[in-house]
Amino acid sequence: MRLYKYFDKSIYKKVINGHFVSKIMGIKEFYFKNLKRLIILPILLVLLSLFIITSHYYKTGDLFNKDVSLQGGISASLNTDKEFPDLEKQLELQTNKDVTIRKLTEFGSDNQIGILIESSDVKNDELRSALEKITNIKLTKENYSVQETGPSLGRLFYRQMLISLIISFILMSLVIIFIYRSIIPSIAVISAAFSDMAVTIAIIDLMGLKISTAGIAALLLLMGYSVDTDVLLSTRMIKRKEDPVEERITKSIKTGLTMTATTIAALFAGYFISNSFVIKEMFIILMIGLVVDIIMTYIVNTNLLLGYVKKNA
Amino acid sequence: MLKKITPRLWILIIALVISIYAINLNPWASGIEITNVEPGSLEEQYGINNKEIIKSVNDISINTVLDYYNAVSKYSNTAKEIELITDKGVYNYNATDDIGFIQDNLTIISAREPILNTKERIISINKIEINDIKYFNKAIENLFPKKPITITTSKSIYSYSTNTIPKISVSKSKITNLKKGLDLEGGTRALIKPVSDKDIMDLDVENLIDVIEKRLNVYGLSDIKIRPANIGNEKLVLIEISGADSEEVKEKISQQGKFEAKIGDEIVFIGGNKDIPFVCKDDGTCATITSCDVFEGTNQCIFQFAITLSEEAAKRHSEVTKTLNVIQEDSGSRLDKTLDLYLDDRLVNSLQIGSELKGLETTQIAISGPGFGTTRDAAIDDASKNMNELQSVLITGSLPFKIEILKLDSISPIVGNNFVQNALLVGIVALIGVALVVYIRYRRIKILIPIMITTISELIIILGAASLIKWNLDLVAIAGIIASIGTGVDHQIIITDEIISGESQNLNWKERIKRAFFIIMGAYATTVVTMIPLWNAGAGLVRGFAVTTIIGTSIGVFITRPAFASIAEKLFNK
Repeated sequence: MRLYKYFDKSIYKKVINGHFVSKIMGIKEFYFKNLKRLIILPILLVLLSLFIITSHYYKTGDLFNKDVSLQGGISASLNTDKEFPDLEKQLELQTNKDVTIRKLTEFGSDNQIGILIESSDVKNDELRSALEKITNIKLTKENYSVQETGPSLGRLFYRQMLISLIISFILMSLVIIFIYRSIIPSIAVISAAFSDMAVTIAIIDLMGLKISTAGIAALLLLMGYSVDTDVLLSTRMIKRKEDPVEERITKSIKTGLTMTATTIAALFAGYFISNSFVIKEMFIILMIGLVVDIIMTYIVNTNLLLGYVKKNA
Repeated sequence: MLKKITPRLWILIIALVISIYAINLNPWASGIEITNVEPGSLEEQYGINNKEIIKSVNDISINTVLDYYNAVSKYSNTAKEIELITDKGVYNYNATDDIGFIQDNLTIISAREPILNTKERIISINKIEINDIKYFNKAIENLFPKKPITITTSKSIYSYSTNTIPKISVSKSKITNLKKGLDLEGGTRALIKPVSDKDIMDLDVENLIDVIEKRLNVYGLSDIKIRPANIGNEKLVLIEISGADSEEVKEKISQQGKFEAKIGDEIVFIGGNKDIPFVCKDDGTCATITSCDVFEGTNQCIFQFAITLSEEAAKRHSEVTKTLNVIQEDSGSRLDKTLDLYLDDRLVNSLQIGSELKGLETTQIAISGPGFGTTRDAAIDDASKNMNELQSVLITGSLPFKIEILKLDSISPIVGNNFVQNALLVGIVALIGVALVVYIRYRRIKILIPIMITTISELIIILGAASLIKWNLDLVAIAGIIASIGTGVDHQIIITDEIISGESQNLNWKERIKRAFFIIMGAYATTVVTMIPLWNAGAGLVRGFAVTTIIGTSIGVFITRPAFASIAEKLFNK
């Protein structure tokens, strides 16, 4: 009977399906009963992720797959609706180098509006002449865009972005310590953030996604976002002494899940509708991170704080 | 009712109004905007300015750039054949805009047309005897008649007579004040690195930027953004030019270089203000194409321009030439060594030194050189081009280092156009998605509407801020805006939930809001802090993301969130 108090009845004007209610209750019961044990899940995930990342590092020398802006190479886009199904093979034959082709389509119609060509070995002039020959389209500055990055520059960018990641993490941790001014809540939030990043990067590695400078910027934003839900949870758990702890946690989950859901809804829209590969890359990284964040926040952060809160009650 | 609008709401309303004004949304923007008026042109004299919108030309209504070009096409000229007889010879050539020379008292004092010579007296033009200046002016008027033109713009009506198409640049009127970044507008982006054996100082980089800017301006490329971009210890320079052709830019920048003039192994002067305080660059008087010839089937034209040396450089020049010997030749006498011009350590020209310069300390030097082509026009063009390049190197100074191009991007504008439409669609669908989630959670329109209004206001204010500070919106900047909106919605949900849960605990408003804001401030601080390293990262290429995210979340936290709290108070406090 005690469980009913967790629902603020004034919010639900319509009569809620009893079955729905009992399902939620079931999940909640399970959650609180097994909270301490559930921590195995994130711990396993993090260990697995660290393993994946390390093996990726040994295999390729990097933490994740880099795209041509970080590795050096050319990214070119040709605006045309003509389709060239064998373009990749033909270009590779012409230039004797590795080339990747992606299609840019218009949202909702699947009509091609452009072709994206990437290669880390081909030179601009080579690619231009090969492309013109194969497609028979005269490349002008109106229909053809090229972004060329020297490999030394790519390496510089990569190093710099990694350093940014580390600096951001440190700064973020400092802010957290400043807010809570005690060790355990800070560690709780920081571990959740770290786990989120680790698992997200591992998933990116597994998916074979190629990351650009924009992608790393997305990772940085993810750090900020994932911490939001942790700050919410930690603040409520520590400071709201008027409710029992479980209630504080439940309310935080409700708020936090709503927050995450709205963000994911917006990102989802962007990912599917946008015809910019940069936006797609940033948004998929954010979405993966936010989903992982749910686990990290509500299992890792909660567990670490539970003991602390009960002690200081 | 007005009393109920709290100060916080006022701030929001004022911010909204300023933003809407700043964005200057004008979806019915029609007509063609003047983007450039050539200095020294008739149009400039008559007071036509940038940013005026052309409504009509000669009573023909102008809506597109094509309309404009059709309307002014009748002012373009075909080439006229000119037969000019002077006291020294007969000359035949073609001219389109003007006669091709400048005269004083009917004597040619400067000739743009290469076959003409100065100091010759005009006898007749196209068989018409020129006895005095009146006849001359009449002849010019007959050859290049001025036709009346009336240009009506948003500001005023301009009526005058001209014999060429108006020397102005036009483009379609802008719909908003938002500046589009390179990704959306198209153009060229280059990341360059100065290379030298010595250490490169920040001052060197500043000089480099100064010089490149002048150089690119000299070639008529406007809308240039150049700034230092440091990656770790590397000092680089980022150049972004809208609408430019990347090959053009690459050429201009690559030629940027080290200029030295040596006699034998001694450096006599180097490019730059110190040694060369003046380089002539106007047409006709001290910088011209002096003559054209045909050598074994190739046309060759000679250009010449004057420079002034500093006294130090002049002294050096005299000291070095003092020691040289004179060689007699049919065409004249010269010194036994040449003045070698080196650009980027590459010999670009060797000038014979006239013997009269031996030991002479003179500050006035004329530099001449050739241009070649299969036709005379091609040779003239080549000579002009070479002259321009040499002038620029001398004018804008040389740098003690070479330039390495690390990154060169050429971005077409079409992608940008598609992107804007696409971004609008993304925005609308995202808002609908967010609204759905909010409604499912709260099931109250009273909650949904304030959240949506606040979110949309936030978007408008962020765009307004971007317009005001003239921030270039590129892809990553737009991603940053979306991120801020997302954070904004999150924070509003936090406020809403605090208010609702506070209800059941009978906490007063101040308490509830205070608690919400504590969480929000914490979240805000962590977001801002994670964006800070991005300011300099990636040579500043992702700076747009950091800036828009920080600005966006700040606007949210300090303007829209407090206003939302006020609105929530009104609506929930029954």
